Amino acid sequence: MIRYLAQAWLVILLGLCFGAALAGMQMLVADRIAENKLNETLAQIPVLVPGAERGEPATVGERTVYRALQGDRIVGWVVPAGGLGFGDRIELLVGLDAQAATLTGLYVLEQKETPGLGNKIGDETWRDQFQGKRLGTPLTVVKRDPAPDSAEIRAITGATISSQAVCTIVNQALTDEFRAALAAAAQE
Amino acid sequence: MHDEFRTLEATAESAGGAAPMPALRVAPSPHIADPSLTTARMMIDVLIGLAPVIAMSVWVFRWYAVLQIVIATLSCLAAEALATSMRRRALTLGDFSAAVTGVILGLSLPWSAPWYVGVIAGFIAIGLGKAVFGGLGYNVFNPAMVGRAFVMIAFPGALGAAAYQAQGVALHVVTEATPLTLAKQSAIATDWWPLFLGTVNGSLGETSALACLLGGLWLCLRRTASWEIPASIVGTVAVLAGIGQLVRPDSPMTLAHHLLGGALLFGAFFIATDPVTSPLTFRGKVVFGIGIGVLVWLIRTFSGYPEGVMFAVLVMNAVTPLLNRWVYPDPLGGPAPAPKS
Amino acid sequence: MASLDQPTALERFINGILPENPVYRQLLGMCPTLAVTNSMQAAMTMAGATAFVLISANTITSLIRNVLKPHLRILVFTLTIATFVTIADRFLAAYMYEMSKQLGPYVPLIIVNCVIVGRCEVCGSRQPVHVAFSDGVGQSIGFALALASIASVRELLGSGTWFGLPVLPASWPAWVIMLLPPGAFLTLGALMGVVNWYQARRAATAK
Repeated sequence: MIRYLAQAWLVILLGLCFGAALAGMQMLVADRIAENKLNETLAQIPVLVPGAERGEPATVGERTVYRALQGDRIVGWVVPAGGLGFGDRIELLVGLDAQAATLTGLYVLEQKETPGLGNKIGDETWRDQFQGKRLGTPLTVVKRDPAPDSAEIRAITGATISSQAVCTIVNQALTDEFRAALAAAAQE
Repeated sequence: MHDEFRTLEATAESAGGAAPMPALRVAPSPHIADPSLTTARMMIDVLIGLAPVIAMSVWVFRWYAVLQIVIATLSCLAAEALATSMRRRALTLGDFSAAVTGVILGLSLPWSAPWYVGVIAGFIAIGLGKAVFGGLGYNVFNPAMVGRAFVMIAFPGALGAAAYQAQGVALHVVTEATPLTLAKQSAIATDWWPLFLGTVNGSLGETSALACLLGGLWLCLRRTASWEIPASIVGTVAVLAGIGQLVRPDSPMTLAHHLLGGALLFGAFFIATDPVTSPLTFRGKVVFGIGIGVLVWLIRTFSGYPEGVMFAVLVMNAVTPLLNRWVYPDPLGGPAPAPKS
Repeated sequence: MASLDQPTALERFINGILPENPVYRQLLGMCPTLAVTNSMQAAMTMAGATAFVLISANTITSLIRNVLKPHLRILVFTLTIATFVTIADRFLAAYMYEMSKQLGPYVPLIIVNCVIVGRCEVCGSRQPVHVAFSDGVGQSIGFALALASIASVRELLGSGTWFGLPVLPASWPAWVIMLLPPGAFLTLGALMGVVNWYQARRAATAK
């Protein structure tokens, strides 16, 4: 035993010191890191849902969504959605009105699409098209100016697949049942 | 080799001392050289073979074709001059290899490419595709395709499928997308006659199957290109596309599209046959061609890209040293006997 | 303990910057060199984090060098490096969240950066604290310079910007390939060629 300790005392001592240092570091910044992660989503809620002042997480139909609140009134929903793009997974936040009938905004949390082409899905000018789209008919991608009051989205030139991927993710995330569940939850 | 001679002579002289021995000049085989079989002759053959393709592209795309070919060729020549002078070698513009790279590169670009695309592609083709490996004969990848792959990834907007199509240009063919893009994305099949003749949209040199066949046959007849490579590429794609058409008869990617539509014939005859980057033996060439054919078909059918000749050739270029080792030919007089134990 | 033929603090410091540059001369630390140099901001954050870990680990190793059992040294190096990497990683996640997300797994991967364990082995475990410290600073500056040179080329050609500020005119065609992994390899190769050419020429004129 003594022989082992003579060999290993330094490693044990360093392990204890470093462990204590890391524990201290974790105590110092853990809250801040958790806050950063939540803020990334919550900070978008007033942008994604008009009139919203703050958001809070909720569970609807076994999925995590965010209530967009004005005072204590629910003015809309923010739904995280993800799926495969051209390069890798795309993670989106989709803003809806309280009845979950109209899109109020779209935000790209994560994407690794081709720089210069597919990564334009993050551009505000392109994302703004989704504002005010009535849900119910699936979104489709077109290569011309979309017809007014339709579910058409203009494709990014040279990045039809990325544009299509975003529409498909939104379509798949917002099924009719899920939207009904959201609308019902907003009534409560 | 001359250095070896000199050493031999020097040793002979120093060994002979006062009575100098006659210098014995011994060089490894081959001992008979055909003075007409030079790099320059082969390259001029390729340029002659490219003539119908250039003519057709100029007829279809007018000044746009002239512009791209001239820019790409001049850039390749400038890059070659720069590379050789940086390495303090004799200028190698006279063997026309840089000119051939430039013309093939220019013909592989879309008509609408901005000027800097051809310039950058030319310098990358010669600099990165050839000079860094040690010049002509040492390069692993086809230089023109290295240049094109670089600009294709660097400027996806200028070389992607969307770059080919434009309205309001005084060219009839460019109002439609390329045949392969049309078939893949809009399920519109183009007739086989325009595909064969070349009056469709596409990269400058690839549109006309007729011109590629004419030039390609000339190259094969002159034995500048080995017929095994284009034959096995086209044969493989024909078989795979034929099976595909039997399985899904309603698909717009018909056999004619696969064979005549994209850059298949241009690539098979002018790009894959580059003697530096293709295998040496008959079996190697056939395997090389089949590999390109399978890759082209796979990329066209299952990937996001409408066309796959460039990537297929580059991938098989990388496999070529392996193929050369794998299909090592038997030496004259049969395989070497196993050493007696 | 330092024998007379060991380099002094000043020599260690200068060596790290160019004559023994970790990237161009030792060819170490290739992972961050290739992975995070598509923008100056990411590259300099990485260089800063690496510098913190390198200097700290080198100093600590030097402090305990007299009680260090030779056959346990790699274990102790790794333990020390891992601790400082975790501190750097948590710090970035707390105070530079966007950058921490962009760098992703490459901050934890500093643990396996051979520059650091190499310096602990070569200098930290053999020389006194002030030499180890200045060695760490010199190597860190060399590493930062190397990352900056590659990141400058890639960001300028790939986005036309430097540190996110527009430098080239808006009509500059962005070379997307420079932002992708091939651009890292090509830039590293080209710059390595330039450095070797410069060294060869200096050696030739010195003769």
